[in-house]
Amino acid sequence: MGWWANLQQRCRTCSRVTLGAGVLVLALVIGAVMLTAGAAGLAWTNTEQFCIGCHEMKDNVYAEFKGTIHDVNRSGVRAICSNCHVPHEPWPLIKRKMRASFELWGHFRGVIDTKEKFEKKRYELATRVWTRMKETDSLECRNCHHDNAFDPDKQSEKAKARHSTMKDKGLTCIDCHFGIAHHEPDGPGPQELRLVKQ
Amino acid sequence: MRTLLAVAALVIAMPAAYAQNVDVGAAEALAKKSGCMKCHSVTAKKDGPSFKATAEKYKGKPDAEAALYKHLTTHPTIKIDGKEEKHESPKTTSDAEIKNLIAYILSR
Repeated sequence: MGWWANLQQRCRTCSRVTLGAGVLVLALVIGAVMLTAGAAGLAWTNTEQFCIGCHEMKDNVYAEFKGTIHDVNRSGVRAICSNCHVPHEPWPLIKRKMRASFELWGHFRGVIDTKEKFEKKRYELATRVWTRMKETDSLECRNCHHDNAFDPDKQSEKAKARHSTMKDKGLTCIDCHFGIAHHEPDGPGPQELRLVKQ
Repeated sequence: MRTLLAVAALVIAMPAAYAQNVDVGAAEALAKKSGCMKCHSVTAKKDGPSFKATAEKYKGKPDAEAALYKHLTTHPTIKIDGKEEKHESPKTTSDAEIKNLIAYILSR
């Protein structure tokens, strides 16, 4: 503990300005370390390996995702779990992560730890995702699919016609593009959901 | 009375009969490959009726399979948002695959 005694001795003899600067530098270093660790932690929780770390995800939704257009395609650009289920902007991302931490409670209670339990819960889980995406105008889709970058000449006539009326009909991406990465649940779809605005 | 009972039994048994003979994986793969799911869903509302709604519409009708076969293979004109367009056909040349898809739809 010699260094501690030495530091105390120095602090007693140094000026207030030096002491203040020392505390400031220390706070900055601690802040930078915490910020870096936090960002690294958030980045880690966005990896595919983290998402399929529990069997509930690996054996159900991830198994369904394999082979879909967002997993394998001609250009090799993949959308992993976090690309579609986590917002990319900092504040919505942190909000989503905080809400997702409650899902750990469900994991430890074994809410969907068998195929049967998962299938029983599938519709409820799907509607949660659909509701969120409808509230955010399908933010997670739009992180990659920007409608101002659509080239109508490269879309089919049917796709062009549908996309041209979606705004007038008050529809968003998820209203039509659901059940593309995971099995469609049995029940009414996003267009039939009644949103209660908070 | 007997005829009534026979018809009732037929109506009840029909979806079950379709379900028994359907290769679900092949039907779902063909529906996906053909782009059916862009306008239809199994149970939910999209621009086209859900497969479940179609199954209910044709429940108990002896000409169900023939009607759907015609709909899927003759490019009939349909209306979406007031605009007319041609209905696409499944992307296959196999009659058996189309009939399997029809059985799948009717068994929902």
